[in-house]
Formats: sequence, structure tokens, C-alpha cells
Amino acid sequence: MKKLQVLGTGCPKCKKMAESAEAAAKAAGIEYTLEKVTDISEIMKFGVMITPALVVDGVVKVVGKVPDVEAIKSMLA
Amino acid sequence: MAECCGSKQTEAGSGSCCGGDKKKTVLVYACSGGANVAEIADKAARELMFGGCGTMFCLAGLGAGIPGMIQMAKDADVNLVIDGCPVDCAKKVFERAGVTNFAYVKVTDLGIEKKKGIRCTPEQIEQVVAKCREVLAAQK
Repeated sequence: MKKLQVLGTGCPKCKKMAESAEAAAKAAGIEYTLEKVTDISEIMKFGVMITPALVVDGVVKVVGKVPDVEAIKSMLA
Repeated sequence: MAECCGSKQTEAGSGSCCGGDKKKTVLVYACSGGANVAEIADKAARELMFGGCGTMFCLAGLGAGIPGMIQMAKDADVNLVIDGCPVDCAKKVFERAGVTNFAYVKVTDLGIEKKKGIRCTPEQIEQVVAKCREVLAAQK
């Protein structure tokens, strides 16, 4: 079970990241949980100061941009 | 304060959110050491940030191996690294963190002598800022 966390305060790109992450997980056929982390202080605990960001199993994979679904799939592998 | 979407560059620390224009994410790092040239590097980085050229970020975070900060540097469109002297601490922090996508300015390369116990001058800061602007312009 992969744990996906989308860091962002709720802007359109943050929502796009969540949609893309979910689409990538489904396309890869993996089991996952998706958490949206919107609290700034919680976001900063990851060392992230530009959002959106994607965290997979506790590892920050991408910051400040929304990769396409294929790129996110490779991050889930 | 977290910066949203990598699009807000002119007001560091602003919590304003985005979804709008796509600007390049330009991050500026300075060695911020103890000598005059390091003070120049630090102040030049802040001048660039407040002048809208990018956002100054924490070199110590990279040195400490904070994963989010390292990933942030890797994902930035441009990283500008400013070292004060030939010891190249900031550059070495980047190299050790595995971040290779950076432009580089060294204060002593501009003819400014490294000394301890003296303050830098506004003219020296402006000289470095001008060089950094030139380097950043070449990145775009």
C-alpha cells in the first residue's frame, strides 16, 4: 500500500496534483491512500516551501510543479 | 511561509496562492559565511530576492540533507549559487546534495578581496547583484 501525500493549501495546481497522483496510482494498478496536507506548518515539516509537492511513502518526489501522469507513475514504482 | 505553486517570486514569504501565470522558479542561495565577501553574497542574494529576481532559500537546509529542500532545488528552473570565496562552500553543498542544475557566482572572482572584521559596502553588493543579474539573464 503506497501512501501518497499532496502538499498544498488548496490552489488549482494543488488540486491538479492530487488528481494526477490518483490517476497515476490507478493507472499503475497499485493500492494507495491519498492524503491532502493543507496545513502550512505540516507542509514545512517536509522541508517544502514551494507547493504543490508530492510525497510517496514519506519521500518528497516533486516540488513546485505538477508532472504528467506518466511521470508520476514512474515515481510510484 | 510556504510559497505556492512556484510562481510567486517577487514577495518572499508571501502566502498568496496561485493557479495563474507560470513564471520560472528561480532560487537563490548564498554561502552567508563570516567574512566580508560572504556578507556581500548574503546581501546580494537578498537584494535579488527583493528586486524580484527570485527567492532566496536556505543553503543550510541543503547542507543538512533535508529531503524536501533538496528536491525543491532539483525541481527549480534555475538555482543561483553565490559563494564568497574560493573555498566554494555553497557550491560544494550543492554538489554533495546531488543538485547539478545551478548557475554560479563567486564574489572574489569580481576582484573583491576577502577580509575578516570589515563590513562590506553598498557598492560591492551592487557589483555582485549586477553580475548575478547578468548570469540569471543568460539562463533564460
